[in-house]
Amino acid sequence: MSVVLHFAQHTLQEVALFVMAVVYLLRLRWLLSFKPGRDRQRPTGGGEGRSGGLYSLGTIAMPWVMESTRTNPFFYAQFVVFHLAATAAILLSFVIPYAPGLLEVRPVTGLFQLFIGMGFLVGCLRLVRRVTQRTMRALSSPDDYFSLILLTVWLASAFLAAPNDPAGGEGALLAFFFLTAFFLLYVPFSKISHYLYYPFTRYYLGRTLGHRGVFPPRRGPSVSSSI
Amino acid sequence: MDTLTRSHKAQKLIERLPKKLNRQFVASLVGCVHCGMCTNSCHYVLANPDDPTYAPAYKADQIRKLFKRHVDWTGRYLPWWVKAGTVKSDEDLEQLKDTVFGKCTNCRRCSLNCPMGVDYASFNRMARGLLVSVGVMPEGVAAVSKDQWEIGNQMGVLKEDYLDTLEWLSDELAEEFGDEAARIPVDVKDAEVVYAINPREIKYDPRSISDAARIFYQAGENWTMPSEGWDMTNFGLFSGDDELGGTVAKRLYSKVKELRGKKLVISECGHGYRSTRCEGQNWAALGEVGFEMESAVVTMLRYIDQGRIKVDKNANKKPMTFHDSCNFARSCGMTEEPRELLSAVCTEFREMYPNRAENYCCTGGGGAMSMSEYTPRRLKSAKIKADQIRTTGAKMVVTTCHNCVDALNDLIKHYKLDCEVTQLVNLVANALVPTRAAVSVTKVEKPALPLEGYTILVADDEPDITAFFSTALSDQGAQVHCISSADQVLETVRREKPDLVTLDLSMPGRSVGEVFEALRRDPELAKTRVCVITGKPELRSLIYERPVPPPDGFLDKPVSEEKLIFNVRKILEISEKQQ
Ligand code: SF4
Ligand code: SF4
Repeated sequence: MSVVLHFAQHTLQEVALFVMAVVYLLRLRWLLSFKPGRDRQRPTGGGEGRSGGLYSLGTIAMPWVMESTRTNPFFYAQFVVFHLAATAAILLSFVIPYAPGLLEVRPVTGLFQLFIGMGFLVGCLRLVRRVTQRTMRALSSPDDYFSLILLTVWLASAFLAAPNDPAGGEGALLAFFFLTAFFLLYVPFSKISHYLYYPFTRYYLGRTLGHRGVFPPRRGPSVSSSI
Repeated sequence: MDTLTRSHKAQKLIERLPKKLNRQFVASLVGCVHCGMCTNSCHYVLANPDDPTYAPAYKADQIRKLFKRHVDWTGRYLPWWVKAGTVKSDEDLEQLKDTVFGKCTNCRRCSLNCPMGVDYASFNRMARGLLVSVGVMPEGVAAVSKDQWEIGNQMGVLKEDYLDTLEWLSDELAEEFGDEAARIPVDVKDAEVVYAINPREIKYDPRSISDAARIFYQAGENWTMPSEGWDMTNFGLFSGDDELGGTVAKRLYSKVKELRGKKLVISECGHGYRSTRCEGQNWAALGEVGFEMESAVVTMLRYIDQGRIKVDKNANKKPMTFHDSCNFARSCGMTEEPRELLSAVCTEFREMYPNRAENYCCTGGGGAMSMSEYTPRRLKSAKIKADQIRTTGAKMVVTTCHNCVDALNDLIKHYKLDCEVTQLVNLVANALVPTRAAVSVTKVEKPALPLEGYTILVADDEPDITAFFSTALSDQGAQVHCISSADQVLETVRREKPDLVTLDLSMPGRSVGEVFEALRRDPELAKTRVCVITGKPELRSLIYERPVPPPDGFLDKPVSEEKLIFNVRKILEISEKQQ
């Protein structure tokens, strides 16, 4: 392994991870510096804030509860594949430097490549959707396009790097690790950081609607004076 | 930032933005990934599929761009990269107004369909509040807010008119039941129930008050209505003005406390319920209010459950469907109670799809009914609702909201549906099986000719309508004159001196708005009672925006004989009392 590849796999990743963590912490501190809105009224509809919050967090795994996911199963499947692929690629960036032995097991490498490859295809589909649909174009900022392209290219590099064979040429591995480092540094400033906010957005929506008896949805009333 | 090039209002808006933010808003403002999943959940999008400016995320971005430019970090340094932006001129504010007031009813349907949990409707309300704080809002919003601030209710109903109406309804109830106990109690202390209503009930639909009174009477309830602070609606919800919201809510809470009421019962109204029960304490920063609050829907259901009233569902035999009010269902979780109640009082209930928290807005939400400039847009977006209703084949749409009643009536007319709109209180009252001892007194016959001695001028260019009104009114004893052009109004009023004019808004000849203003300005004619009866409610601004006293009544066509007579009598009897 060349010195450059060793540097890319270790020092560069560690520095990039550290910077990302610091920026994320600052970001969270910023978000938490805003006062949370309060619900002073008694709960309605037999509702309860916390269970609403938990239900809301769980909707991601319940595509049937939201009309937008229920009526777009293909889009939901893409969402699942894309996020699994991103998780697999992140995992790969740790497995290669710290547990390379795992990738000597062919089915493991195959599995990584399967997920990541499918994710790459979804990335391409999403890019086509964003470019060809009028509404999507109207919504998109340069950051939206760039983040999607970055992620898709990064998945392609992960796919090629997964066999972890520096002896056969370091190009794919170098590309993957340099892209990973760039990715880690760019993410906190881009929309890709949505996963940091996701728990807050969903929890707060769920807490509000839980307190008002909307989440989780109920069937069959109970007449109560506190409704 | 270049404050020197920004208009005063734009500058104020930018300065106030950070103060309006809380953690929920910020999470929603940073959380959107522009995935577009919410797009098709909006009724505006469904009616305008080729116009991306109606997409919820696009509309949200018109607010988000300000947040990114002035509060968030990336947008401050790389605005073009994340589409951050600002407002500089009053025209920019007008454009923002068009989006937040004219392209969204705050129905929250997109919020429930966003995988990220972005609650656009909530921060859209926040943006409305910001615009209102710098004086930028649709005229209707300004007028209604002013009435609610100054007169204490959003339709500017004067205390005398309110009490007169209750008095007049009480006379009818006492007569109907042959029992003075059937009168509507006002300001009774220590009552079990304090009943608060929507001013629309006083102005256009007093029958819903007498229906509620019939139910309370039959249930043997110890109830009262307040003489002041009786409006449970709250325009603060629509205008985004938390100060107005808090003040209005406090007025009502204080009155209930002053009366030492045990429970505040909120008549059927989606936004009224949400404002009073779910948001008022937050806007007013009030803790425990010291009494219970419930919707009249729950009250009626409980009376049936406890056997306090008996109902016969055969009284309501038309096939019915139910429209969930967004505020009642999607924002307050009231989805099952109305269905249970409806099933108890009608023989055929047909569910509308989608329903409950997924139901589509009636398109009159978010104060849209008061913003006449957006009426064509609203009616266009109502197509999805019209299709929903048509598919059920029902002859009656039931809803728990006065705002929805008006919006549904509008769209039924616009899309020519063969359907009527009603509320649960009307159905329950209609299905009541008298149980109270006093009811054994047989119903007193109504006076044979209640309009005897009155002269009424019917001004309408549709021959069917003039024939119908003229027959209905003369059957009740009135002397009726008919004209078909706006040019004839002033001259005929001067000649015939009618006690009341029923005025159509779209007659040939002079502008009816001008004629109405001339009538009100003429000292000799100004006192003539006018009831606008129109098939084009979008034209109401022709009348209501004029700087003269408003008409004494307003009815949407088609109007039933019962409703016509009821309203004409109400107007004439009130005017008599005032004289
Ligand atoms: S609001 Fe939600 S659903 Fe709509 S584009 Fe943004 S993240 Fe997607
Ligand atoms: S709140 Fe309702 S009207 Fe407004 S954008 Fe969302 S779905 Fe459309």
